[in-house]
Amino acid sequence: MSEPAQAKTSQLDSQQPSLEGVFARLLAYARPYRSQIIKALLLLLLATGLQLSGPLLIKVFIDDHLTASHYPWWPLALLFTAYVSGQLLSAFAFYRQSLAFNSVALSVVETLRLEVFAKVLRLPLAFFDRTANGSLLSRITNDSEAVKELYINIISLFLQNSVKVLGILLAMAILDWQLMLVALLLIPAVLTLMFAYQRLSTPVFQRVRSLLSDINARINESIQGMSLIQQFRQQARFQQQFSELSHGHWRTRMRNLLIDGLLLRALVDFLYLLLLIALLQRFGVQALTLEGAVQIGVLYAFLTYLGSMTEPIIEMVSRLNLLQQSLVSAQRVFVLMDEPEQAASLAEGVAYQPPKDASLLFAIDEFAYQPGRPVLSQIQLRVPAGAFIGIVGHTGSGKSTLMSLLMSFYPISKGQILLGGQALTQLPASERSAWLGLVQQDPFIYRGSIRDNIALELPLSQQQIEQAAKQAQLHEAIMAMPEGYHTQLAERGANLSTGQRQLLSLARTLARQPKILILDEATSNIDSHTERLLQQSLAQLRGQMTIIAIAHRLSTVQDADQLWVLHQGQVQQQGSHQQLLAEDGLYRHLYQMQQQEQQVAL
Amino acid sequence: MAKIGHFVILPNLIPALGLVVAIFRQLSWFFYQQRRRYGLSLLALLIIAFVSMLPPWITGRVVDAMAEGQLTSGLLYRYLGILLLAALVSYGLRVLWRITLFGASFQLGHQLRLQIYQRLTQQSASFYQQFNTGDLMARATNDVQAVEMAAGEAVLAMFDGLLTALMVLLIMTLFISWPLTLVALLPWPIVGYFMWRFGQQLHDSFNLAQQKFSELNERTQESLAAMRLTKAYGREQVEWQSFAQVAKEANQANQQVAAVDAKYDPAISLAIAASFLLAIMLGAYLIEQQQLTLGKLTSFTLYLGYMVWPMFAVGWLLNLLERANAAYARIEQLLNSPISIRPGEQDLANPNPSLELAITEFRYRPELEPALLQLQHQLPAGQLLGMVGPIGSGKSTLVQLLTRQLQSDSANICLAEQPLAELSEAALAQLMAVVPQDAFLFSLSIAENIALGRPDASQAEIEAVAMVAQVHQDILAMPEAYQTQVGERGVTLSGGQKQRIAIARALLQQAPILILDDALSAVDVQTEAQILRHLRQQRQGKTTIICCHRLTAVEQADHILVLDHGQVVQQGRHQQLLQQPGWYQQIHQYQQLQLLVEQGK
Repeated sequence: MSEPAQAKTSQLDSQQPSLEGVFARLLAYARPYRSQIIKALLLLLLATGLQLSGPLLIKVFIDDHLTASHYPWWPLALLFTAYVSGQLLSAFAFYRQSLAFNSVALSVVETLRLEVFAKVLRLPLAFFDRTANGSLLSRITNDSEAVKELYINIISLFLQNSVKVLGILLAMAILDWQLMLVALLLIPAVLTLMFAYQRLSTPVFQRVRSLLSDINARINESIQGMSLIQQFRQQARFQQQFSELSHGHWRTRMRNLLIDGLLLRALVDFLYLLLLIALLQRFGVQALTLEGAVQIGVLYAFLTYLGSMTEPIIEMVSRLNLLQQSLVSAQRVFVLMDEPEQAASLAEGVAYQPPKDASLLFAIDEFAYQPGRPVLSQIQLRVPAGAFIGIVGHTGSGKSTLMSLLMSFYPISKGQILLGGQALTQLPASERSAWLGLVQQDPFIYRGSIRDNIALELPLSQQQIEQAAKQAQLHEAIMAMPEGYHTQLAERGANLSTGQRQLLSLARTLARQPKILILDEATSNIDSHTERLLQQSLAQLRGQMTIIAIAHRLSTVQDADQLWVLHQGQVQQQGSHQQLLAEDGLYRHLYQMQQQEQQVAL
Repeated sequence: MAKIGHFVILPNLIPALGLVVAIFRQLSWFFYQQRRRYGLSLLALLIIAFVSMLPPWITGRVVDAMAEGQLTSGLLYRYLGILLLAALVSYGLRVLWRITLFGASFQLGHQLRLQIYQRLTQQSASFYQQFNTGDLMARATNDVQAVEMAAGEAVLAMFDGLLTALMVLLIMTLFISWPLTLVALLPWPIVGYFMWRFGQQLHDSFNLAQQKFSELNERTQESLAAMRLTKAYGREQVEWQSFAQVAKEANQANQQVAAVDAKYDPAISLAIAASFLLAIMLGAYLIEQQQLTLGKLTSFTLYLGYMVWPMFAVGWLLNLLERANAAYARIEQLLNSPISIRPGEQDLANPNPSLELAITEFRYRPELEPALLQLQHQLPAGQLLGMVGPIGSGKSTLVQLLTRQLQSDSANICLAEQPLAELSEAALAQLMAVVPQDAFLFSLSIAENIALGRPDASQAEIEAVAMVAQVHQDILAMPEAYQTQVGERGVTLSGGQKQRIAIARALLQQAPILILDDALSAVDVQTEAQILRHLRQQRQGKTTIICCHRLTAVEQADHILVLDHGQVVQQGRHQQLLQQPGWYQQIHQYQQLQLLVEQGK
């Protein structure tokens, strides 16, 4: 009697492309925007150059005019104009390059989203069974949003900042290349520092994060299990454990704080001051030895440049964590994009033999969702065109699975289903959906009017829509609504009854004029009024199309030409309602059980 | 997007100041508690503010000395020595303030979490109906973090930003030149105005972008939910087009945000450039007038660079405090919620008491129909009582009254004449063990889960109850047997396994009264029979109450109550009830048929 304990596995995280590969693949998305990127780069160079020319111009002013007390009108006006126009132009160029980079980044995100969504539409239903919609949703929307961060906050920032640092070094070299070499020391120093910091801090930081998630998990779990904790009077013990956990978190954070404190801003500021000392020392020595040859303007320009050199480097290194995070997000998107697709149908446009009539042949040797646990076996059944077949069985007998296979929701590994003599797998999806019309018990309702929900994307006339609604016995109910066919439906059809939703699904399917109608009513979740309407509807449709009705309630299908009684994935009985009732078997017991069910409230 | 908060609230400076006062007053207890850490860090910040005024000043002095040709080697190295000292001192103090200030704020997070957790353990079911888990979690995580930032980052922004700005302004006006200061700072209010305008534009376009993003989410969610329909009707192309439309709109909205966002950095650069230009121009004039030296002008431009951070700090501070204020209010509401469990004081008088139910009526709210009506029953100690009935018949209400999760004056329950309401929590826990409907397991080992109420239980005791609950073999089959971890990082158990572990857990309590509240629903009929057989042997002489849906679980009961609409409609032993026409008989027939059908007969 022991049930196997299953370890949780998340199907989506099975094989992951490497982060380097992810990065390359992401960059490839920007390829169509090459000319825009080149334009942005040129603008960036221009903007940085102009911006950095400012201190140089001030240097000229200080050395040629201020210290010399020499103020000729025209050169000064020229300097002033150059400075002002240079800075204005630089600001404008910065603005334009930022727009250009953003536009590329956002277009890449859009492309990525469209691709991943198209991919999701091509995935087999089996995939949706094992993957929560929430996690898919976050891949399509949030994770692709993280890619935007990568482009804007990382790639574009790295470009901007490296161009800036290089520009500063260039400007310094123009002024005094030896001094530039001193300032250059800052780069390896800061880089070494940052990488050392990452080495030291990453494990501690990860520990902090995992402890925090433990804390949150503990609170969450305690809330859920609070009545138990109280019943067993374990409040004090749980509080104690929580306190230890939270205190451990605090201690780890303090360790992280120490690393931050010793290595980050404080040390960079310290390095900056050391450079300042070196700078002053060099100028001072020059002044002492060369007597008055020191250009104060050069010192001024150096001071300005030095002040704006550390920030870009720090910014870049501190974004490395973000890089990691967005790559992981992109990785999740790519894993989804690389999921194997459904190969159960013929590609559109390939030549095929159309089905010759609305007959069906089931020849399924075995079908299993998970290997080794067959849900259906030995199903050999024929449905003549125009017949009305009812499929019944207790919960878990496999009747819904049979319907899913007919709709090609899952590929059949052993066996096949023929439609009008043609295997379903040999038909393109569009041909299949033209023949087979599925009526869901709890169909999806779109936001919009009843009319829209019946027509969906089809260009139907009001008359055709009403015709479908009448066939589905829904017309009267719709007319009773204040705005008739234009009544707006709430989210998920909350202002319709369960039965009305099912009838709407029937109308929607009938509007598409399928040749085979498949009715899925796998649970007992139907009221007797709706059931009567459904019965009427089926009685009228009978003969016009092949009908396959899966029913939990036997009364829905008792008029069928033939009933198939399923048990544990096999057809246990076949025959009409009267024939089956006469046998002492499963169908009769099912029937009696349902009779009994109506009498007693459970 | 971080820039939004910085500028949007700038015009609302006066109410914002009220905010500063409000949140800091609320946190004053904590500032007092951590006065050593805060005192140290503020002192360190103060000294740093002084020390960091030195480098620009000394640079100016060196420049002046050079310009006037008065620089000597001794003077130069003395200055450089002072700078080195300043560098070392500020390094040490920066490390110090970071550890003390953030250490204190982390401490606040820790303490708030503990207080919240403690309060949560004191609340009953009605509280948890009022606050859902997501809401409570948000308070215990995001809100705590927001308040923590008020006690750390906000204090830093306030003191460091304010101190730096004040010092720099003082030095610039008093020691260098006040007209120069005035003129050089002229561009900042203008840029401030533009920032504010950008902020408003950004706010609007950001809202639009957010809205488009949530539309994208909704559209995607809808598509995913409609996947079966899409596949069945072959509507993939239609779905894709509608998604593409929303994705495009989201892109356009984001482009709008980017268009505003891209204005910030150039605007700040322009402000800085204008500030410098003005400073140099007026500086040159003042130097010509002999009112300023070149060195002082150099110092001045360096100081000007110091003003950028405080400008940002104000916006950041207000943003942090606004968040913290709202967050603290939510935390306070949670911490001040009245404690809903009000236990009595008495110990249990009789260690193995009989149970008397005298319920005239019980209503959840006065305007509702009674959930229980006229229910009187005497249950002698040591009996096995069964309770059955359709959904909504009042079984669960009765169990909740028995376990004191619900209380009412018109529903009297006594234990050997001692009112249940007067028992202390400890006495109640000793008296009763309950297996609830949904078996909940903690992310602990299996052994710890079973020994939840008795952490000191021996392995032998644990295994003994696991055997009674028919789950011992299952546990042995798990990777680490009794030490196997349950939950996200461990194994996932089936519903039946969980229920049986929950039964073992309750059995370990060895309580005089054991209540199984529909606790066998996920267990198959044969296992159920084995569990019940062992249970009867184990609980010889002790009271057991089984509340269930499947009649097989109460076939051996000493007495069965059949409830319907809150009243006892039938009672007696299994065989007696089978003879009477009524719900019991009908449901028995139904379940027999169900058994047949499940076996395919």
